[in-house]
Amino acid sequence: MRSVLITRPQHDEINRYFHAWSEEVVDMARLRGSVYDLSGPKAIRKNLDSYIQSKNPAFLFLNGHGNSKNIAGHDNDILVDYRSSLPDTVMYARSCDAAQVLGPGLVEKGTKVFIGYTRKFICGYTPDKTWRPLEDAMAKLFLEPSNLVATTLIKGNTAQEAHGRSRAAMYKNFRKMISSTATFEERYAARWMWSNLNSQVLLGDSSISI
Amino acid sequence: MNNELEISTELKEQLKQLVLERIGVMPNTLSIAVGSEALNKQDMLRHVQDEDETGKQIIEMELSFLRDLASGAIYANA
Repeated sequence: MRSVLITRPQHDEINRYFHAWSEEVVDMARLRGSVYDLSGPKAIRKNLDSYIQSKNPAFLFLNGHGNSKNIAGHDNDILVDYRSSLPDTVMYARSCDAAQVLGPGLVEKGTKVFIGYTRKFICGYTPDKTWRPLEDAMAKLFLEPSNLVATTLIKGNTAQEAHGRSRAAMYKNFRKMISSTATFEERYAARWMWSNLNSQVLLGDSSISI
Repeated sequence: MNNELEISTELKEQLKQLVLERIGVMPNTLSIAVGSEALNKQDMLRHVQDEDETGKQIIEMELSFLRDLASGAIYANA
């Protein structure tokens, strides 16, 4: 497996959640090969461009705020936008809206696969747990299926399998959340899971693995 | 709201009220990260009331879920 590059800023509450939950992916990538972990303030464009140039990672897992045209890193430094060209890579963007314009543009310019969201990526969470994100059972419902995109790819499966397993896990959690055994919070948050489930898309060659 | 331009102002207002009512029962022990915003119930109510960009997205998400609930789409396999 060629190397994996992960960006995970942590400058605000939401990014702290993504940062903490990405640790599992970083650990798995370390076990399987090389991983470049642009964590916290390291998640800036200068570093990203430098690692892409010198290390040519096969898989980019980007966490951070986004919109239809760009994905941001530490302190919302723009990491990827219309100027970016990331050929020969597989990319998963845990960011909002990036599959609307940015993703198709990257695939047009040679990115093999882009997995992302056509709408806002939503994460329900428990206000009392914000300083212990990994103990937040509500956030787990949202972020664990999302991590599956990355971990399934790192295990050598195809992009289609990664996307499919993630969506299947979201649907499993969704069904649990609307069941009679769910807590009131889970039942309420089910609508948000439904939104993520329907906005996660795979663009490019679904048969590719890294 | 797929047919946003075609629905009447009155219906649009009713749908907004429906969304506000549904947010009104959201537990205080729950928050949501929508894009770069971390929102609690009061924040969500304000955004929907103001119909700003975030409010419109919340409305669309609620109505989309209700449509799929009514059509049975949520019970189909993912």
